[in-house]
Amino acid sequence: MSQSPWARIGMRNLGRHPKRTLLTAMGLAVGFFASVVLVGWSQGLVNQMVENSTSLLGGQLEIHDAEFLPERGLYDTIGGRDGVDLDQLLTRATSDVRVVAAAPRVYAGGLVSSGNSTVAGMLMGVDPEGEVALSRFLDVLTAGRLPRPGQNELVVGTEMARQLETEIGGELVVVAPAADGSMGNDLFTLVGTYRTGLGEIDSAFAVLPVEDLQALVVLSAGRVHEIAVSTQDPWVAEEVAVAVTTAVDGDVLEAEVVPWTELNPALVEYARLASSMYGVILVIVFGLAMFGVANTMLMATYERRREFAVMLAVGTTPWGVVLSVLYEALALGLFALVLGVVMTAPVMIWWHNAPPDLTGLVGEIEMMGSVVSLTMQVEYDVNFAVMTAAALLATAVVAAFYPAVRASRVPPADILSGL
Amino acid sequence: MPPEDTRRAVRTENLSKIYRQEAEEVQAVRDVSLTIQPGEFAALAGPSGSGKTTLLNLIGGLTRPTHGQVWVGDQELSELPNRALARLRLDQVGFVFQAYNLLPVLTARENAEFPMLLQGVSAPERTRRVDELFARTGMEGLEDRRPGKLSGGQQQRVAVVRAVASRPALVLADEPTANLDSASSDALLDLMDDLNRELGVTFVFATHDARVMDRCRRLVRMMDGGVDSEETPA
Ligand SMILES: Nc1ncnc2c1ncn2[C@@H]1O[C@H](COP(=O)(O)OP(=O)(O)OP(=O)(O)O)[C@@H](O)[C@H]1O
Ligand SMILES: [Mg+2]
Repeated sequence: MSQSPWARIGMRNLGRHPKRTLLTAMGLAVGFFASVVLVGWSQGLVNQMVENSTSLLGGQLEIHDAEFLPERGLYDTIGGRDGVDLDQLLTRATSDVRVVAAAPRVYAGGLVSSGNSTVAGMLMGVDPEGEVALSRFLDVLTAGRLPRPGQNELVVGTEMARQLETEIGGELVVVAPAADGSMGNDLFTLVGTYRTGLGEIDSAFAVLPVEDLQALVVLSAGRVHEIAVSTQDPWVAEEVAVAVTTAVDGDVLEAEVVPWTELNPALVEYARLASSMYGVILVIVFGLAMFGVANTMLMATYERRREFAVMLAVGTTPWGVVLSVLYEALALGLFALVLGVVMTAPVMIWWHNAPPDLTGLVGEIEMMGSVVSLTMQVEYDVNFAVMTAAALLATAVVAAFYPAVRASRVPPADILSGL
Repeated sequence: MPPEDTRRAVRTENLSKIYRQEAEEVQAVRDVSLTIQPGEFAALAGPSGSGKTTLLNLIGGLTRPTHGQVWVGDQELSELPNRALARLRLDQVGFVFQAYNLLPVLTARENAEFPMLLQGVSAPERTRRVDELFARTGMEGLEDRRPGKLSGGQQQRVAVVRAVASRPALVLADEPTANLDSASSDALLDLMDDLNRELGVTFVFATHDARVMDRCRRLVRMMDGGVDSEETPA
């Protein structure tokens, strides 16, 4: 026997009622499972929202002229009237290792007409290949293909196509106020449609090559409104913004680098709110589990009053009795933790890598300017799992404290003579 | 302190225990003054309810007296705090009860070593003492059994080994043979008799059992909580 018998006595006592031990441990294990999966799922949703808001159409960073936001004026191109050396700017913007891609964009308000239907929309000039590397909305078109430069081709959202009552191959008249004060207008061919699920985008954005839009609204080749930048992880955007600012500085006067967290503060708030709920989840789940453990330990210690009396009679201190019961609870907690991990790990791995899709049940949900497809996608969070494990063990030990103290106060003389 | 004081194992002086239950008072032990010398093999006898168990528990520090004093060695117990009483029981007193003495989750050896472990006796020394006592009691080969796999007589022998192995000043045994058949009873008494004669362990019994009374060398008869008479049978 080791130098302190309490751990051994505690462990062995657990084995005396295997079914009861298993049931109580299951209570804690299910608590662990529920907490980790629920929080993983919540983080999955938050990530999906951030991911959608930053990579569906927006970038995680945007480089603008300092005057561009919030009016998004046609004249407020990066570098002012002279424009910039676009290739050099893109090279500098992507010099940080955490930057995945960068691409230029030109915006102009305009009207798109087909036959008798006219829709007011946002004309968006992009580098089609660069855009595919950067954002997701053009990755998979619902029909057709990407526009080619110099061919007067464009793609529109499915909703805009429906409102225009046109389809692939249809002729569209595009009219837009130009930078020289004239009214630019030209005939385009619809070559593709996209769908994001966000009504305000699908009904409003007509996408064409940068060069074609610059020609339409009379902007010279070096003039773009935005360089959109994507990073490996949305949560490093703020740090990368600082690095990119340094990298492009000197090149471009009066440019600002804006991370998505500034563009969509509500989403940042939501993420913060969600993570503040995690502690509450732990308190609720393990608060409930605590009653189960306390009940079991109270029962177990009541049955063994005679054994505690013997321990006390032969010279164990009351604290020794308390320790033996706490060790028993700790052993129960460790067993429950093993059960919990065995239950949770496969589900987390499965739902992280191949999340069951709930869109069939509830469809897509628009939330905070981002579209969320309801899957059971979960995120791993090692810190939270460790916190949950600690909460589980603490629950077991704290729940056993009252039963342990009661056991240590057993009156040995009365119990030993009351055969 | 007078020199003869160091020679006593136990002394009680006008020791009383009164239990109050609602309006009723039960005087379980009444004004008992008793001295037990080291090496005695003594029994408290008397009818049921005469106060044998209560007196034994007062001596062992499991119950606190209402009046009077108890010394174990030269330690007076009535004012000791609980922790000190636990320590005294650990170092000075061995207990053997009527039944269910052992912790069911520990093996025979672990049960026997339990008080020594709390005392901080080294592992080799614990093993040595338990081996020797198990050999003496005919318990070799049963060291790794749990109490549930031992007969009643074997369990009581383990309890005696546990009580003796920690080298207490005295062993208090409350009806140790009450649950045993006569053969097991005799074997257990032989064992305790041997330990008393060869190692000088002091035993005090509380008993109804004529076999115990026949074997002991001092018989204290109790009646209504008080000492009625004394005999020295052997
Ligand atoms: N905890 C207690 N509370 C109230 N009364 C008690 C308590 N313990 C013992 N008594 C009473 O004190 C008296 C002496 O009891 P005790 O157990 O000491 O007698 P005993 O001689 O050991 O009897 P037995 O031979 O039946 O074991 C009895 O009347 C008993 O009912
Ligand atoms: Mg009795």
